Amino acid sequence: MDLRAGDSWGMLACLCTVLWHLPAVPALNRTGDPGPGPSIQKTYDLTRYLEHQLRSLAGTYLNYLGPPFNEPDFNPPRLGADTLPRATVNLEVWQSLNDKLRLTQNYEAYSHLLCYLRALNRQAATAELRRSLAHFCTSLQGLLGSIAGVMAALGYPLPQPLPGTELTWAPGPAHSDFLQKMDDFWLLKELQTWLWRSAKDFNRLKKKMQPPAAAVTLHLEAHGF
Amino acid sequence: MLFLISSCLAVLAERFQLTPQLLHVSVNSSLQRVYLQWTIPNLTYHQELKMVFQIEISQIKKSNVILVANHSSAVRGDRAVHWSWDSELPLECVTHFVRVRGALDDARAPQPGSWSKWSPWEEAHVSLGPNELLVYPKEKLVEEGSNVTFCWISGVNLNNISCYLSGIAIHGERLDAHVSTFKWNNVLFHRDTGTNFFCRHTNPTTYDGVTVFVSKVLEEPKDFSCETRDFRTLSCTWKPGVDTALAWSKQPSQRYALFEWVSGENKHCELKNSCNWQITQDSQELYNFTLTAENYLRKRSVNIAFNVSHRVHPKAPHDVNFDDVSATRARMTWRVHSRGKSHTFLCQVELHCEGQMIQEHNVSVHESGEQLFGDLQPDTRYKAQVRCADANHFWKWSEWTPRNFHTLEAAPSEAPDAWRTVTSENGRRKVALFWKSPSKSRVNGKFPFYNIVVKNMENSSEVQQHALQAPVNSTWLSLGQSSYLIQITFTNSQGTSPALVMGISRDSGNEEVEAERVDGTKEGFMISWKPQTRDVVGYVVDWCANSQGQHCNLQWKNLGPNATSTNISSDAFKKGVRYNFRVYEISAHRIAHLIQKNVGYIQELAPLKSPDVILSNPTSHSFVLNWTTYATESQPGFIEGYHVYVKSKDAQCPQEWEEVVLKGDTHFSAPDTLRREVLGYIFSIGGSTFTTKPSLPYMLLQIILSMTMCVLFLLGLCYWKSQWVKEKCYPDIPDPYKSSIRSLIKSKKPPLTIMSVKDCIPDALEIINKSEGTKTQGGGTGKLHAENAPTKLAYLRLLPTEGSSGPGPCICFENFTYNQPASDCGSCGHISVPPRDPPYHLELLTSPNNLLNVLEKDYTNSLGEIPAEQSSLNYVSQLASLVCGDKDSLATDPPMPQHCSEYKMQMNISLSSMILLGQGKH
Repeated sequence: MDLRAGDSWGMLACLCTVLWHLPAVPALNRTGDPGPGPSIQKTYDLTRYLEHQLRSLAGTYLNYLGPPFNEPDFNPPRLGADTLPRATVNLEVWQSLNDKLRLTQNYEAYSHLLCYLRALNRQAATAELRRSLAHFCTSLQGLLGSIAGVMAALGYPLPQPLPGTELTWAPGPAHSDFLQKMDDFWLLKELQTWLWRSAKDFNRLKKKMQPPAAAVTLHLEAHGF
Repeated sequence: MLFLISSCLAVLAERFQLTPQLLHVSVNSSLQRVYLQWTIPNLTYHQELKMVFQIEISQIKKSNVILVANHSSAVRGDRAVHWSWDSELPLECVTHFVRVRGALDDARAPQPGSWSKWSPWEEAHVSLGPNELLVYPKEKLVEEGSNVTFCWISGVNLNNISCYLSGIAIHGERLDAHVSTFKWNNVLFHRDTGTNFFCRHTNPTTYDGVTVFVSKVLEEPKDFSCETRDFRTLSCTWKPGVDTALAWSKQPSQRYALFEWVSGENKHCELKNSCNWQITQDSQELYNFTLTAENYLRKRSVNIAFNVSHRVHPKAPHDVNFDDVSATRARMTWRVHSRGKSHTFLCQVELHCEGQMIQEHNVSVHESGEQLFGDLQPDTRYKAQVRCADANHFWKWSEWTPRNFHTLEAAPSEAPDAWRTVTSENGRRKVALFWKSPSKSRVNGKFPFYNIVVKNMENSSEVQQHALQAPVNSTWLSLGQSSYLIQITFTNSQGTSPALVMGISRDSGNEEVEAERVDGTKEGFMISWKPQTRDVVGYVVDWCANSQGQHCNLQWKNLGPNATSTNISSDAFKKGVRYNFRVYEISAHRIAHLIQKNVGYIQELAPLKSPDVILSNPTSHSFVLNWTTYATESQPGFIEGYHVYVKSKDAQCPQEWEEVVLKGDTHFSAPDTLRREVLGYIFSIGGSTFTTKPSLPYMLLQIILSMTMCVLFLLGLCYWKSQWVKEKCYPDIPDPYKSSIRSLIKSKKPPLTIMSVKDCIPDALEIINKSEGTKTQGGGTGKLHAENAPTKLAYLRLLPTEGSSGPGPCICFENFTYNQPASDCGSCGHISVPPRDPPYHLELLTSPNNLLNVLEKDYTNSLGEIPAEQSSLNYVSQLASLVCGDKDSLATDPPMPQHCSEYKMQMNISLSSMILLGQGKH
């Protein structure tokens, strides 16, 4: 069987074409690494779950503190509670940050908030409240791990704790009981705002990391009508 | 010497002017307490003087003195004087000024009343920024019911402060331009996290608040008592009352402590409602305890003193055993936890059977006790329990220690309760024996067998023995015509019961006694009898609980020899059920003789079933009815008699039933008064209806008349047929020369042509109307009218009305089943019924409602629901209307409906046109 020169060029062109289209074959395009998408999705889901869980917990805890903290229109200015990470950053400023900074800020904020929540749990007087707080702390610990997973998937390093700011609760300067209650109020409020903003962050990040979806056109023809 | 000392003091007072010097002024905010310390600087270390001091406190300004207090104290040069004062108002609220002066208070001093100079004013105040707001007291722990005063201080730029106590806005009392207070009297506990007092100012925005922790009032421990169970430990218990703990450790739960005054020992209790105290081994018998409850605000104490030997709560007895258990006796032994043989316990022993306490005993015990239970039932399960208490100083019973035991079986003590029924069948007698399941007290154990011994009294060799195992409670025996003696016993593992003896005499089962009625009530049946012989040992009344039949469920009642009546009652008795009672007399030889039968109902009910009647020998004037198979005993009441209803079959008008009442008979023959020559009778008895045959002459008359009519009809038919054949086949040829017409032809000119009627073809057909109006019409139909007037049949042929749904004015139905005269019933004869709703009248169509009615009527008519009067209007020809109506008035008057002839379709057409006209008018 003898091959002519024209046949060889044709086979080469065919081989090149096949090789060119190989990446497009879905079965061969699997690298085994699903990327950060699933972990972002899980983080987003966990954030929404925590938002829901906090709604119930905050209601119980603010009733425990008594009026005016459990009144719906109680909205005092944040005068104390300086050590709490503030979630009330200007939205444009927040959006101007890059993903790494936003994730880092999230991680640091939840680390601090978790520390304060654990202190809250230790001081709670009723067993039911302690149970709810412990459950929420466990969930928040999971969110921290989840954010760390997203940062690792995206190649960002975890923030290093500053010297002297270990995640251990130390009683601050002697507050009056009322101001201590106010701190608890602000802790729950800041936590709620952080969770709301984090959910938006993770949703935006999830969409950003998603590959463009293939357009599917479904053409339906109706005959005989 | 005394003079010398006095002189020295006087010199001191003059020389040194004992003016105090304030060393330290401090404040405890939570307690709202001011602490003062001062000294007398001019005193030497060894000098000690008794002095009185006056302290003056002012608020806001020095001249506003709110307190002047005296304080006496011994003063030395090396020792400061301490004094404190509790302020109602938080000390931070306003500026406070304080100063002190002193005077000698020594009896040795010549002039004890001269005050020293005042110390300089000491001032304490809070400095504020211009936009600052502060609320006091910052920390406050109070008890329920006390009073709290809040104050708030605002900077110079804050003018409109709003304050809230537990979320409710309050209005304070202004002390000055920047200080306000609010007094909360009789504070209440809201929550353990405290009550919040909150003030705020908007623009500039600032706020401050405080939390007041209100503690519940500590209660005194209740029901404090101590006891020992083992003489080693005293266990003290109490009811603690409310927990006064507050959140965030502002106040922990109250603590309890025991103090024993004799030994002087103290113990903090770990639990809030109990505490154990070790009994010392030095034979301390008296104890005096004080229990103290304490929180941050209050202490409460209770005290008890007791001798420990009076507070012994024994442990439950142990080693409870039964020995020597027989059928009727048992002995129980037990032991107690005792301090020794000198100590006595009182033990309570109870014996229970089937949940009921049947015996109770009190026994004194040192270390072990015993109790003998008698009068027990054989083969019975009992529960015995014992508890003990200190016999000398009763304090508390120990817990019960229960144990169960079972007595042994014993031989049955009583004879079975049995009865029999005897029936004769084919020369033998069938004896059915029944016995009641014996009570436990009669059996004394388990009873596996019933023993039945049958002896022939006339033949001692004939003995039958039967053994039946429980729970069988009946059997039957087949005996001859001799006298028999039946013995029934039951046997358990311990022996045999006494025998029940029943004699069967020769005439048993064949006694004939007339049953008498007995009236029952809800309470039962009262059966009475007359003693018939003197040699009687008793009576037995038996009956079937389920009335008669296969499932008799025989019941019996034993009565003494002196009884002459008894009331038989049972929940099983039902209304409408017949009960048969038999009264037997039991002779000394145990032979039962039937002496009386009674039958009755608790309440009679109406018969449910009618007799099945057989009609026999029916003739035109006689018959016999039989219902001998009718079972009266199964009826829900006594059958007093029967009602036979008779009436004649040929009666024209509705005839009342003739009632014949029969008493007791089960057949009925027609009485002479009913034997009439009529078509037949209809009988009714119990719902059954019978008809007798009509009489023979009437039948013959009917047959003869029918046959005559048939013959006449056949003769007429044959004649008509022969005439028809003759005309067709052999017509008569007229002879013109023999005709009388010929003479006419000859006499008149021009000659006339003779027209045969047979050769004419009719071109129109006329309707003959039978109404009265028709009779007055033209005489063209006079011949027909004259022929039709008396006949109904011809009319029926002309106007077939088989499909009519209602009576028509021109139709006659002859109903032979009714007996009314034709004039009464109206079914025969020509009744002129005026039209109810003439559908063609123009006036009716001018109204839309009428139009609608007409349309509806027309529609329903078109569906076939033809009104009665229209159903008689049969289409013959369009010309028929002209015959029936007035020809001249047709063009001007609307057509009136005719009763006997009309053209229906024409009505509809004209109706449609009328509707259109009506609409046009509108």
